[in-house]
Amino acid sequence: MDTFNFSSSDFNAVFITLKLALTTCFFLALIGTPLSYFLAFKSKRAKPFLESIVTLPLVLPPTVIGFYLIVFFSPDTALGKFFILLTGEQLIFSFYGLVLASIIYSLPFWVQPLQSALEKIGNDTLKTSESLGASKFDTFINVIVPLSKKGFLTSFIISFAHTMGEFGIVLMVGGGIHGKTKVIAISIYDHVEQLSFEKAHFLAGGMLILSFIILLTLFYSNKRSIVRVK
Amino acid sequence: MTNLFVKITGYVGDFFLDFEHEFNTSGITVLYGSNGSGKSTIISALSGFINHLEAKIVLNDRSIENTKEFPPHKRPFGTMFQNPILFEHMSVSQNLDYPIKRNKSLNQTLLSKEELINYLELGSLLNRYPQNLSGGEKLRVALARTILKQSDYLLLDEPMSDLDIKTKARLLNFLKMINKQFKIPILYVSHSIEEISQIADEIILIKNGKKIISGSVSKILNSNSFQRLIGKFESSSVLEGILIKTDQLMNMTKLDVNGQTLIVPGRPGLMDNIVRVRIRSRDIIVSPVKINTHITENELEGIITRIYTEKDTAFSELVIKLTKSKIKKTSQILGARITTYNLNKMNIAENKKVFIYISSVSIDRQAYQY
Repeated sequence: MDTFNFSSSDFNAVFITLKLALTTCFFLALIGTPLSYFLAFKSKRAKPFLESIVTLPLVLPPTVIGFYLIVFFSPDTALGKFFILLTGEQLIFSFYGLVLASIIYSLPFWVQPLQSALEKIGNDTLKTSESLGASKFDTFINVIVPLSKKGFLTSFIISFAHTMGEFGIVLMVGGGIHGKTKVIAISIYDHVEQLSFEKAHFLAGGMLILSFIILLTLFYSNKRSIVRVK
Repeated sequence: MTNLFVKITGYVGDFFLDFEHEFNTSGITVLYGSNGSGKSTIISALSGFINHLEAKIVLNDRSIENTKEFPPHKRPFGTMFQNPILFEHMSVSQNLDYPIKRNKSLNQTLLSKEELINYLELGSLLNRYPQNLSGGEKLRVALARTILKQSDYLLLDEPMSDLDIKTKARLLNFLKMINKQFKIPILYVSHSIEEISQIADEIILIKNGKKIISGSVSKILNSNSFQRLIGKFESSSVLEGILIKTDQLMNMTKLDVNGQTLIVPGRPGLMDNIVRVRIRSRDIIVSPVKINTHITENELEGIITRIYTEKDTAFSELVIKLTKSKIKKTSQILGARITTYNLNKMNIAENKKVFIYISSVSIDRQAYQY
């Protein structure tokens, strides 16, 4: 493996990164989707307030979020105690601590594209569906999801890519523990610190190509769906 | 015959709605009022989209509470909103299947998809997608889809406001036909006099959230409240005539109105043997004596029942009852608007016989033409 400049430690980091990004997207789909629905169709007075909260991770320095998460994840808090009771492990410096942190800082990347896709569908479409005999859930599955496929895809890709690339919060909350919370971004940082530039090149180049492919897929699929609509 | 009782009260924004009506018809009821009079709110409350209003809705002895316990998809109404929406990811055929798939009642034999496709001429559109349809086509599909919900009552909220006159006239004919053929009562919201005079069996006039008057088309269109609402200049009456014959060459139609003949331009749709025409009060010439009939196509006879002379204007309004025919018992009413100057000159008065001259050119063709 070393001939490819790819140690088992790097392999582990890649595995953890992908696992983290996928797990985060799974939970974002569960939490972020109803939130987007609520923001697009239901909320009126609470909307600016909720939108501000959801968007907060976008403007805050990662260290600020990281700092508060460390405080909230500590074994002294209710959340920390509960997690220890559940798993016998500390939430902080654990993989699930990392997932929780990622859900929070990637939330705007899930909510915003989906919300604007849903807003484009509009309330009248919902009303039409319901007046034709479909319940709200039926409407969501058979009208909203198919009409906002592009929004879901965008949300997934952007959230996935963003979770993969985050560094500051992941380092603060996860601690970069090898085989547990050490993701690609931290591995690269470590390689550079140790001046092993070849290894850094390998991981950094991989990330660069992967990110480019992800964005290309996204923009290509967006372009295609616009052509289809015409 | 369907019986629907509706009472809706409550604030909508800073606006108080207080509407009560008993619909007792299988025909078309038009809810007429200006923008912001509460028409759409009534439709929304009936279909279950406004839950905070106090409402009593009883349809054929079945009570529907206006609460979340009766969500829109469980209500027995088929609603079509302003600017109807088709589901863009479904073909026309799939759009039509949408309510059919969700209809859990056993009463599915009322109307088949094939029948509606036939009546609304949708055959060639079935495999197309909404983004490739014209406004009129979209509306026909949406209408068919709403009807296929097999609901007990259709609620149509100004569905045709964006269409051109020709498409609109054609669709109104479809509506009339579907109503007659399948006996589905329709509540139709409109603020267009053309639409009303063509399709209404009954009109409810509302203003600022309150019902002002309701009744048959001729009663309402000739009523003072209606004239006040639309302004004197536009005031008009609707005459109903039985089609006698159409002249293909001249493109004219001969109608029997209370045993008198009325010639109107154009040819109405095939479906209609009863044709309604709207005649503006200001387009009518009244004379106490018979004048040369060749000056216009139409000469009718009637008796003046009321004269309203306006104090601050130059005008007077005449209410003229067309002379009764031997066959038809009810006589129709015509409103005429003339100058008070001419009224005095002609020396006509209430209960006197008059001759009415109407040029076919001034007869509102949009009111019936296909």
